[in-house]
Amino acid sequence: MAKKAAKEKREKMICPVCGIEMNRHAEKVREPRTPEEVAAIDPVLDGLLVEHHTCPGCGRGAARTQP
Amino acid sequence: MADERPLSLPVILGTTRQGRMSENAARFVHGELSKRQGVSTEIIDIARLGFRIDDAGEGVAGAEFTEKMNMADGLIIVSPEYNHSFPGLLKHVLDSCLEEYIHKPAAIVGVSAGSFGGARGIQNLLPVLRELGLTATFTDLYFGSVAKIFDMTGRLLEPAFVERTANFLDELIWMATTFRYGRENVPLE
Repeated sequence: MAKKAAKEKREKMICPVCGIEMNRHAEKVREPRTPEEVAAIDPVLDGLLVEHHTCPGCGRGAARTQP
Repeated sequence: MADERPLSLPVILGTTRQGRMSENAARFVHGELSKRQGVSTEIIDIARLGFRIDDAGEGVAGAEFTEKMNMADGLIIVSPEYNHSFPGLLKHVLDSCLEEYIHKPAAIVGVSAGSFGGARGIQNLLPVLRELGLTATFTDLYFGSVAKIFDMTGRLLEPAFVERTANFLDELIWMATTFRYGRENVPLE
């Protein structure tokens, strides 16, 4: 249920080139790289959960930490 | 599955050494790949990237290389075997990116002066690829005893490598096509 709720509130990621919605196809926990990221660590996952998206228009990839 | 955009499949020449025989293998594979319809390719020579070696991690990444990895649909990595492994500078270059590789296939070309064709170096490269988010193809291409396969001008002396390379590229193109569709259209639940 928690995963479903997170999915519903997740913001769409828009391709900066095409302006269309990108496809979220991967997630991975990674180590923090900055003091700000250290403060934002998910205590359950013990790292930052990063989403990976790809644009179906141009193929460009982009990533963001999960909001 | 028709797609207007060609598959972007760069060939990374993974050594900087003078007199490297891997360059002949890279140029041959690049030439064969260039004949394929619906594919764009180029050789990315790590000797020409000029990456720093006293960096602090991902700060080393060059904007041009990062953009090429972002737009790539798959990679061909040409790696000689040095002391049973792959070149340290190849690792340094690969480590400069991460998110740009996720869910893309990588096909490895092994090169060696001896008879094993870089197979031991490839074995050591595979776990690195996995951690980078790349997926290795089922088929490798081995140029063992490379001095007997190309002459000093880079001309192929062993015709069997034409068909071996074709099979190797067939799988990479299939995986790149399939993975691109997945990245762009199949959401993670």
